[in-house]
Formats: sequence, structure tokens, C-alpha cells
Amino acid sequence: MAVEPLITAVQQASSALELLQATAALARSADAAAAPTLVEVLGFNNPGAAVAAVDGLIAIGSPAVDHLLQLDPRNYGARAWAVRALAGIGDVRGLELLIEALLTDVGPSVRRAAAKGLGSLQLTDLETDARAGIEQRCLDALVEAVGDGEWVVRYAVAVGLEGLALGSGWSVEHSNHGSTCAALSLLSDTAVEDASVVRLRAALALQRLQPS
Amino acid sequence: YGAWWLGRNRSQHPEAVPLLIEALQQRRPRDPGAGVEENAVARNAARALGKLAPAALAAVPELLAALADPDDGLREAAARALGDLRAPAAVDPICARLAGGPAVAGARQETCPRLGEPCEALLEALGDIGVAEPHVLAVIEPFTRHEWPLIRSAAARALLQLSGEPRWAEPLLALLGDNQLQVRRAALMDLGAAGWRPAVEAISTTLAENSLKLIALRGLVENGSGEPGDTTLLAAMDALL
Repeated sequence: MAVEPLITAVQQASSALELLQATAALARSADAAAAPTLVEVLGFNNPGAAVAAVDGLIAIGSPAVDHLLQLDPRNYGARAWAVRALAGIGDVRGLELLIEALLTDVGPSVRRAAAKGLGSLQLTDLETDARAGIEQRCLDALVEAVGDGEWVVRYAVAVGLEGLALGSGWSVEHSNHGSTCAALSLLSDTAVEDASVVRLRAALALQRLQPS
Repeated sequence: YGAWWLGRNRSQHPEAVPLLIEALQQRRPRDPGAGVEENAVARNAARALGKLAPAALAAVPELLAALADPDDGLREAAARALGDLRAPAAVDPICARLAGGPAVAGARQETCPRLGEPCEALLEALGDIGVAEPHVLAVIEPFTRHEWPLIRSAAARALLQLSGEPRWAEPLLALLGDNQLQVRRAALMDLGAAGWRPAVEAISTTLAENSLKLIALRGLVENGSGEPGDTTLLAAMDALL
């Protein structure tokens, strides 16, 4: 099916339900031409439609990134959804926004998505030096966020650290491997971490990072 | 506000509990003409005491007295606090308040859309306290047929917590598919509180915010046991981040 009629349907939706259905249909197209309209939906204050739009933007992938980065920073609601989309896409151009979101956003669900996203950026096509620099910045941000006040963010930090370390292939002698394990040890320590589900997840990550 | 702060920060200061008990005692019959309502402070004090377990066990007698207050908002806060404190002494007084069943305790008040008793809080407290005597289960069971889905959800949750019988998970799983978001949210929280691990798949696919599904799955990990195991539950949580 051509994308244009699907875009028109979103633009002409006259109720919240119509918008949700039209957005879901457009999202399923996963066509790069749908990206600007899907980004627009993020700012409509319709959570159901925004969820569908985020799914569509993740399916579109890299071609959606520029549209997401052009969002007005003052449109807080739309930016929060954009962070989730960027976290799911894993394109390195989202790095700055993800770090800023993890360390400064007021919404725990935004920080949570950013933490997971920083552990799953697609870096394999980059040159070695550029890749190492980005991995370092992801690691620094995640380590800083170990002190977040919300359990669900710390949980996502454990998941992000695991993903980053497994994806980067640091050897056990690499200092970054040591920093990752030190941060995960804090999150698995009963004296530091109150939430037992976070301790459990951090312990699982440590187990997966130890050479068997 | 001070009462809220002490609870929020789980204050361990030795003065915190005595001060909150004092605030809880400063209550009076509702007077619509009065300015700042002392009962509002008492309600906040009760909620804060619930968050200060186990240090707040000294407050149980005063919370039991608040459970008999004419202000149903205060009774609700007291019931939740007694549930948080896992106070077995509260089981009989709570059962007495619910004894009329849905037709009495669960009947709508004449002047406002509230029920005669704060049933949801009372039922949840019975589940949290954990005294699984047959007479307690018998008091709760009629509420699984209450006309309000939120009350049915609270009753099924308490029965699931106390008896562990799978048949009480069925109504909660059905409510995850309710048309109202508010009901789906309550069923998520209730399955989490009961730690009913077989619900993991149903929770993951419920139409609700991922934040709430994550809280529910955390409940399965921390309050539940058996199959599916921790690794499966944690993988389901990872997928919702």
C-alpha cells in the first residue's frame, strides 16, 4: 500500500481513537517517508498513538534519526518519546540526546529508556578509535547513573552496562571491564541497593560478564 | 507535609514515630466549615507510619483506633498502614468491618459514590498481613462478586496471597483485558502484589504503561516463587525498558 494515503489519514484523524488507528497503520508501513508524520504524532499528547509512532520509527531505523533530532527541545512530551525511539534505533547520532536524557531528564521512564539505549548502540561499522571514544562516553554516563533515585532506572543501568560490555568485547584485563564490574557490584550489594530485583539483575549481568 | 516527608524518606529518627502517633491523635469529627482539616494531617500521619515499618509497630494501637474513626478516608489510610506493618492484631477488627459483605460494607453511600467501607484498602490489608485462617477467607470471598471491578480485583488478590490457589488468579487475569485502563492497572498491581508468576506473559502484553508492567513484574520476582524462574522474569522486564 502506498504511504501517502496513510499519512493523510493520520493528518485528518478527528478523534483520539482514529489517530491511534491511523498512526498504527502508518507505523506498520515502516516506510522512511512516514518518519516526519510519525515524529509529529509524538507531540500530540496521545500516549497510545505515541507508542505506535515510536514502534514505527524504530522499524524505520536510521532514516528516522534526523527527524527525531530536529524536534524542538521545548516540546518536552515529544522529546521524551523521541528518546525512546532513539534508544530503540541504536543509531550513534542519538548519543548526545541519550546521555543528556539519562543524566538530567525528570521522567524516570525517559531515563530508563535512555539507559537501555546507551547499552545497545550499533557501533560495529565505526573505526576503532571513534568506537572506543563513544563506548567510553556511554560507560561514563551509565556509571554516573548508578546513583539514580529510581529503582527502575538503576535496573535499566544494569541492563545497559551488560549490553555495552558484551557488545564492546572488552577483555577482562581492559580497565572498562573493571569499571563495568565495579558498577554492577555496587548494584548487587545489599548494603547499597535497596531493591532486590535490581540486585538480582546486576548479579545476573556480572555472571554473564565473567569468563566461564 | 512534614508527615509525608518522614514517610517518603523512611526516616529512622527516634522522634519520627512518636511525632506521627501524636499527629494521628489530633483528629476530630468532620466539620465542613473548618479551615485546615486536622484529619488530613492524621491521614498523612497514618500513611507515613505504614512506610516506617518495622519501627512503627508501636503505632499499631493508635492505628487500630483510627480504623474505627467515622472518617472513611482516615479508616482507609489506617487500613493500608496496618497492612504495610503486617499487624496480625488488625485482622479481627478489619474482618468485623467487612463482615456485612458486599451488600452492607460494600454498599454505596447515599450521599456520595463511595462505599460504606473503604473495601479495597481493607481487603488488600488482609492479604498483606497474611493470616490465612478459614474465617478470614470466608469474609473476603463474597467481595469477589462485588459489582465494582476494583473491589473484585482486591478480593481476588487477597485470596491469592492467602491461599495460593490458582483459581483466584483467574479473575485477575480476566481483568487485565478489561475495557477500562484504571481496572487493567489495578489488576496489574494486584498480580504483582500477589507475586503470581504464571501471569508473566499476560502482564507483558496488557494494554497499559510499561512503567506499571515493570512494577508488576518486579512484584512477581520479589513476592513470588517457583516457575517461571527469575531469569525468565528478568528477560521479560528487560524487554519492557
